[in-house]
Amino acid sequence: MAEGELVGQRVVRIDSRAKATGEARYTADLTLPRMLHAKVLRSPHAHARILNIDTSKAERLPGVKAVVTGKDAAGVKWGVFRYTRDQELLPAEKVRYVGEDVAAVAALDEETALEALSLIDVEYDVLPAVFDPLEAMQEGAPQIHDHVENNVNIHVPIEVGDVDRAFQEAYLVREDRFSDTEYTYCQTEPYAVLVNYDSNGNLEIWTPNASPHTKAKALSNLLKMPLAKVKVRKISTGGAFGGRSDIFPGEFIAALLAIKAGRPVKMVYTREESFTSVRQAHSMVVDLKTGVTEDGRFLANEMKVVLDGGAYSSTGPIAVSVPFLVWEETYRLHNVRFNGYRVFTNKPVRGMYRCHGRSFMGGLGMQLDMIAEELSIDPAEIRLRNALRTGETQVTGSRIISCGLTEAIEKATETSGWKEKRGKLPYSRGIGMGASGMMVGFPMGIRGGSAALLKFNEDGGCTLISGVVDNGQGNESMVVQIAADVLGMKMEDINLVSSDSEITPLDQGAYSQASTFVSGNAARGAAVDAREQILNIASDMLDATPGELDLKDGQVFVKHRPEWNVWLGKVIRKALLDNTPVVGRGSYMPKVDLRREWVSNPKGQHAGTFSFGAVVAEVEVDTETGQVRVTNVTGAHDCGFAINPMAVEGQLEGSVASGGVGASLLEEHSWDGGQMLNATMLEYKVPLSVDMPQITPIIVETVDPEGPFGAKEAGLAGSMNMFQAVGNAIYDALGVWIKEFPITPDKVLQALEEKDPES
Amino acid sequence: MERQLIQLKVNGEERDVVVSPNETLVEVLRDRLELTGTKMGCGEGACGTCTVLLDGKPVRSCLTLAVEVQGQEIVTIEGLAEGAELHPVQEAFMEHGAIQCGFCSPGMILTGKALLDENPHPTEEGVRRAISGVVCRCTGYAKIVEAIMAAADAL
Repeated sequence: MAEGELVGQRVVRIDSRAKATGEARYTADLTLPRMLHAKVLRSPHAHARILNIDTSKAERLPGVKAVVTGKDAAGVKWGVFRYTRDQELLPAEKVRYVGEDVAAVAALDEETALEALSLIDVEYDVLPAVFDPLEAMQEGAPQIHDHVENNVNIHVPIEVGDVDRAFQEAYLVREDRFSDTEYTYCQTEPYAVLVNYDSNGNLEIWTPNASPHTKAKALSNLLKMPLAKVKVRKISTGGAFGGRSDIFPGEFIAALLAIKAGRPVKMVYTREESFTSVRQAHSMVVDLKTGVTEDGRFLANEMKVVLDGGAYSSTGPIAVSVPFLVWEETYRLHNVRFNGYRVFTNKPVRGMYRCHGRSFMGGLGMQLDMIAEELSIDPAEIRLRNALRTGETQVTGSRIISCGLTEAIEKATETSGWKEKRGKLPYSRGIGMGASGMMVGFPMGIRGGSAALLKFNEDGGCTLISGVVDNGQGNESMVVQIAADVLGMKMEDINLVSSDSEITPLDQGAYSQASTFVSGNAARGAAVDAREQILNIASDMLDATPGELDLKDGQVFVKHRPEWNVWLGKVIRKALLDNTPVVGRGSYMPKVDLRREWVSNPKGQHAGTFSFGAVVAEVEVDTETGQVRVTNVTGAHDCGFAINPMAVEGQLEGSVASGGVGASLLEEHSWDGGQMLNATMLEYKVPLSVDMPQITPIIVETVDPEGPFGAKEAGLAGSMNMFQAVGNAIYDALGVWIKEFPITPDKVLQALEEKDPES
Repeated sequence: MERQLIQLKVNGEERDVVVSPNETLVEVLRDRLELTGTKMGCGEGACGTCTVLLDGKPVRSCLTLAVEVQGQEIVTIEGLAEGAELHPVQEAFMEHGAIQCGFCSPGMILTGKALLDENPHPTEEGVRRAISGVVCRCTGYAKIVEAIMAAADAL
């Protein structure tokens, strides 16, 4: 194949055979010689001082090889940012949520480890706790961290333009509150970790992760070990969705145990532990005030968001900024005021999620529909009037280099029959739309880029070494497809070595939607570099200039006379003899303003590029039971260019499940104070095959000038669009606005009763 | 608890294993027979990830005690292909992009196979119902349904 022929094809992913046969290894599948099994003792209290931990009985139990508590952790605190270092991964003084790690045991088997946990005596001084972020912000609320007044963990204020004056000039101003409850990633693979520590001081870690390099750096800091000694290995990961990003107590505790016992330690969480003691998604309360002109254009926008962050910071500064970012990434704003607060409560720790902030995203789009109705403008039209376009600059300074938002809205409405259906379906059936823009990567300093190497063997085959991480999205296959395309090779002739913090170069990881754009660009660069080296060497052999040569199917040939050719393996051998072995090298750093900072300086180019999407959803409501069923979804997504359209469709379809059915209608945690009541998959409802609508994915290609072959991302905008599409469709069906997510049957029935108390 | 020696027939092979009476089939398959293709997702029969075939029928191996299934034919994902030749359902999952993270794939593929053995020409609705006991968080099920329908055509 010539360059550009393999990309864009529906190819079978390189990882799928091993996953179809059961060969693919996930962390819990691994066993090492002399391996121990570990379990963690967890706090039964939401907020308590640890007065004493007596582990002596546990240590004496036959089969127990190591016990650790906060005393072994040396009081080191972790935080993603320098200014958020507030979490002792094994606390010595205080626990701040039910399920927090207190002590851990490594034993010959799991049963013994569990028995040992029951022999540990912990003396607590139980403290008053707070579970609601608005209450936690009040004077006199229990203070969860000594250094944080009113429990305000992060406050991001952003103001551009003259907001108050713009509100006065607005033709129409609306104010609404939207909110949602906590929910969870619920990846199919429960959390697990295996750590091996050898006598030379090498620490090896296997754990489902979105970035081996990020995990390695955190452990290197926490354990005060050189980065070269901390080796996070490649392992298949059973889904991430944002929930495998930063460091978790499990890795740290397993490492402490392995070092103490001098033996490998494996720790596999139960589903309950995966729910309570890794990460969850934030709940939010969102106040939106919007002023528009008579023809529905934004004039003034004000948003206040309060996020329940749980007990520690995690990725807090990012989480609290995203409501603002997605807003400015979608629409042309002029005068804006944003105040985002992430507040500590005595609940488990919250992180970023694929369906982050259904309340703000749903709220923005539902309020826009309310405004459209008051102004008698079609919801699609009001979106088109405010939609950003290529070449425009967002309100805090990010320039948009490719934008298919208008095309996505037009295609989604055309294909779904929007004009024929909107407002015309029978009562209890409705149609709604959603639209959004999404950052592709964000400033991460030295961690924002990716690099790749490509080395050729004397038989003409090659190995691609890339930091790219795949949690199921298809990223591994993507880099191989790109490299194979550039080199005119078959995908199966390129072997991939990836996601190993020791062997592969630094990569930003599989989050912030950056893998295709950044890691793909680096892989392409390595392949282009190797190709140039090959053509240069072959030009001597074929007596032609490199520009006259091409590489395809393992042959280098003269373009205008293909019978003049040489086998690639021969070129590689000549390179070796000439002492110029073929090793391609590529790297990519997105063009972002590195001075931009989440809290202290939220202005400047935020991401290298942005992706865009629009969805139209149809719903059917059973007005007797309040049950909402999403029946049809048309999702159009500007992914720049689809390297593998089958993988892009898969991302969009998955987005409909997690965003449109799960986050919009089903998923939430229930609580008794700080105790999660539904930490089981029997009671935490996720979408099943029978809950899913018919989905029509539409790929919009804008061919981004920076992306590899014009590609951007495909993972996020789809799910972020669904909340408003479903909320708006329910209004179209019933004439009621439901402003609290998830939209469960009880909320539908209550809204219907409030609308018509006679019913 | 007192351990006992039992015989299990897994993927056509007779295997002797020493187990405790409370050991579940998924534990024995994974920990004692090294058949780690069977995954464990929740341990309480809710997610379907641990599905294996027992005399051709899909069962949740986390709710099945190993001592109960002596003498029955157990098929795990490792036993589906014949040498290098994949089962048509496995092929279809690959060809149709039905595999993303892959953690639900073993249970999903075996459930699909059991359905097609019983009903070689299911409707789309029938496929959706058959796999409704296996949770997938990545795909939205669309390509999984498509793959099983395509495998039905291929068989």
